[in-house]
Amino acid sequence: MTPQERRLLTRRLLMKRGAAGALGASTLAYLAACGPRTGGVATTSSESDVIPKAKLSDSLFFSNWPLYIEEDRGTLKEFEEEYGAKVRYVEEINDNTEFFGKVRQQYAQGDSGGRDIHVVTDWMAGRMIRLGYVQRFDPAEIVTAQQNLLDRLRTPPFDPGRDYSMPWQSGFGGIVYRRDLVKREPKSVDDLFDPDYKGKVTMLTEMRDTVGVVTAGLGHNPETATLDQFMEAVDKIGEAADSGQIRGFTGNEFSKDLATGDSALVIGWSGDAVQLQVDDPNIRFVAPETGVNLWTDNMQIPVGAPNAYTAQKMIDFVYRPEVQADIAAYVNYICPVEGVQEILAKRDPALAENQLIFPDDETLSNSFIFRELRPEEERQLDEAFQKVIGA
Amino acid sequence: MEAGSATAESRAEAAPRAARSPNDRRRGGKLLDLGLNVYALLALLYLLVPIAVIIVFSFNDPRGRFNFIWQEFSLDAWGDPFGVQGLGDALVKSLEIAAVSTVIATVLGTITALALVRYEFRGRAPINFFIFIPLATPEVVLGAALLSLFLNYAVGLGFGTIVIAHVMFTLSFVIVTVRSRLIGFDRSLEEAAQDLGATPWQTFRLVTLPLIMPGVVSAALLGFALSIDDFVITNFNSGSVVTFPIFIWGAARVAVPPQIYVVASMIFLFTLAMMLLTVWQQRRAERMAAVRPDEPAA
Amino acid sequence: MAARIRKVGLPYLLLLPGLGWLLIFFAVPLGWMAFESLKSGTLEEGYLFSWEFSNYTNAISDYSEQLLRSFLYAGLATAAAFLIGYPLAYFIAFRGGRWRNALLLAVIAPFFVTYLIRTLSWQTILSDSGVLVDTLRTIGLVSDGGRLLDTTFAVVAGITYNFLPFMILPLYASLERIDHRMLEAGYDLYGRRRDVFLRVTLPLSMPGVVAGSLLTFIPAAGDFINAELLGTPNQFMIGNVIQSRYLEVADYPTAAALSFILMAFMLAIVLVWARVAGTEALLGTEGERR
Repeated sequence: MTPQERRLLTRRLLMKRGAAGALGASTLAYLAACGPRTGGVATTSSESDVIPKAKLSDSLFFSNWPLYIEEDRGTLKEFEEEYGAKVRYVEEINDNTEFFGKVRQQYAQGDSGGRDIHVVTDWMAGRMIRLGYVQRFDPAEIVTAQQNLLDRLRTPPFDPGRDYSMPWQSGFGGIVYRRDLVKREPKSVDDLFDPDYKGKVTMLTEMRDTVGVVTAGLGHNPETATLDQFMEAVDKIGEAADSGQIRGFTGNEFSKDLATGDSALVIGWSGDAVQLQVDDPNIRFVAPETGVNLWTDNMQIPVGAPNAYTAQKMIDFVYRPEVQADIAAYVNYICPVEGVQEILAKRDPALAENQLIFPDDETLSNSFIFRELRPEEERQLDEAFQKVIGA
Repeated sequence: MEAGSATAESRAEAAPRAARSPNDRRRGGKLLDLGLNVYALLALLYLLVPIAVIIVFSFNDPRGRFNFIWQEFSLDAWGDPFGVQGLGDALVKSLEIAAVSTVIATVLGTITALALVRYEFRGRAPINFFIFIPLATPEVVLGAALLSLFLNYAVGLGFGTIVIAHVMFTLSFVIVTVRSRLIGFDRSLEEAAQDLGATPWQTFRLVTLPLIMPGVVSAALLGFALSIDDFVITNFNSGSVVTFPIFIWGAARVAVPPQIYVVASMIFLFTLAMMLLTVWQQRRAERMAAVRPDEPAA
Repeated sequence: MAARIRKVGLPYLLLLPGLGWLLIFFAVPLGWMAFESLKSGTLEEGYLFSWEFSNYTNAISDYSEQLLRSFLYAGLATAAAFLIGYPLAYFIAFRGGRWRNALLLAVIAPFFVTYLIRTLSWQTILSDSGVLVDTLRTIGLVSDGGRLLDTTFAVVAGITYNFLPFMILPLYASLERIDHRMLEAGYDLYGRRRDVFLRVTLPLSMPGVVAGSLLTFIPAAGDFINAELLGTPNQFMIGNVIQSRYLEVADYPTAAALSFILMAFMLAIVLVWARVAGTEALLGTEGERR
């Protein structure tokens, strides 16, 4: 190709693309006039519609976090025996924001992607309700659950009637560490920022756990703190990330770094730590002196769930104390069901006394519940935090 | 590529290996040779060490949920490679998707490549460029754009959308691969066939297709490999379907049991065996062609 | 007459399925993404199209760090891949002999293992408590408090490793295609190997160098898996940001804008290379003009 021809080729290409661009722009203008508004509240939900009665299905799709049920899935098998519905249990949720990002558009169009139950933390459960992405329970179908739910979980601000959510497990966000890699038990949030541990600290991508713990460490109570005070914590975390003090931000995989010794102390979740102890006795959970973040993960039934009626049966099923006892004994998270403590006391008294499963008032007094944020506050705080964790 | 190297080899043999100028082996020549050999060896090691690690760690018996520290040798994982929940399903799903999308992409791609090389027509250069653009687009962008399309048309995400996505990004690879094979193609055989009275379709089916088959096959293999391995684009468009890479991504957060490494090793060894088979086949064909020069090399 | 129409229409007919697929599932989605990038709004209220060009300027100013970093890492990885890959490709092409195919196989073999698992394997190799880091600490290449994992080094090394075959194969293809008689002529002319290499081999292998560099640089710049698994947030690249904006935060306008910005850079680079090396070398269409 001669140089002239080559130049001609590129010029022609550019002109063609210019023409295409003009066409594209006018198309965009047309679409702008009558384009769809993507996102926002689901168009196909109706607030007052309760899940209608239906036949029992023969299958159920249950989306949950990892390490949240017995390894042998005993509970699910019992459910299948009693109700005949085969449960497809998928541990696809690693982070609330990540899960939300994944299902958001489908939910907005009234499509659950096949899911019948998903489990998300309080604040996300609230968001799901506000956006109309979840269905309302039929009270007649979840009688056991309503009866056995722990009193202190009965009227959360985001769902005062427990019409759209039912707790799965609660837990603490605190400090998890390797006993053999720290100088002493890290009882203070300041230990996380100790230069001696530079590069050996990770924190959670869950904003409320990380920012909550650090805010408390700064002396403010996350139940009443102002946005500025939360931002102060975010700034401190950001500095630590920039300087290399914090090695990274994780979801469930904080346990991996602890296991390999890549990290010495992290912000992590209580139940995971206990389950990890079985494999590595050096891993411990400790509640910082300034407080742990108490959270609850909730079962919800998304819009468009194909087996919504049967899903309610499952939700009710796990509130039977005998059933819940098996789960509690394995996952070691805070049990939301009344009556389980007594059952476990007979099986294994140590479990019944375990503060991480059945926290008494004293333990609870050292915990805080991250306060409800107004949408504007949430947006600002999320944005700032996302920038820090690298998004 | 195999046929290409065959012609190169024969070309090299045909051209006389004249005695090298006495200058070029002088001081440093041998050292340079040695240096090159060592360097190449190191580079190869670098390529293969992580694979070795994977195979080795598949024999690990880890204490905890994560398979990162060597504990002790054990054949347990190999005895029960699909024991991990969801692993087998994810693998099967990936294979199904790869099979379907490879077939579609290879057929479409071959036809397109033929059209691009064989015919003169308006717009050929811009179309060539257009086909190249997906190769120049980062996967994140491809995946995200496709997601926008599916969402705006309210298409349910799942098996179908994954296949569509996979065909889309492998198509360009297939076209480029088959096209490069077609370009060096000697048309005299086709012309001979036509002279002998074959219809265009017959010529294509009986002469062209068998001759470009190696290129088509390698394009198909490439497409299959790309599809099985894809994570980024699939992640955007999978909905709740779990493919093997997606399973691993999730597992990396929670637990990496040795079974994952076992399955990876199995795939690796299988593919290796397949490739060795084709190479051995190639050698055989060459040897046969040398012995009986009038039969076409397969 | 019908035959003439058939003859003229045939190429277009043949092109239709493949091209159609690309048009529907590549071009149109990009259009929708362009549409998306000019919207404004929030997650809860919804996004509405409003010619919001500020999305682009905001995206550039907010994420300039990650953008620059992506190009830096991709550049480093491409250079490293070239330094490692060229001698290897040369070796296989000129010294490979009977083992040529086996060696090529060894080069492609890592690709038979899923990308993610390969990267996980690097996590194991570079782990703080692993053999490699221990040895390097003993030698002194790594300080006592230092580490290899979750560093820039790890991320760039990971990217280099994962895209090495993309560099080696085109290099090999063009090196192998060099007519040995040219080399003979070169030896006769110049005598010294170094001169033959610099004046004959290297220039003749340029198409391969161009192709290999592009095939390495472009996907590397958009990668996020290596940064995610082998780095800290200080190593996050633009791919991480796009992925997170799309799949986690659901900030579609910004994500779409960033995607286009990235694409624009890539296409610009491709066009520059095309200018430098000629479009035929780029598209592999050298033999097409009949």
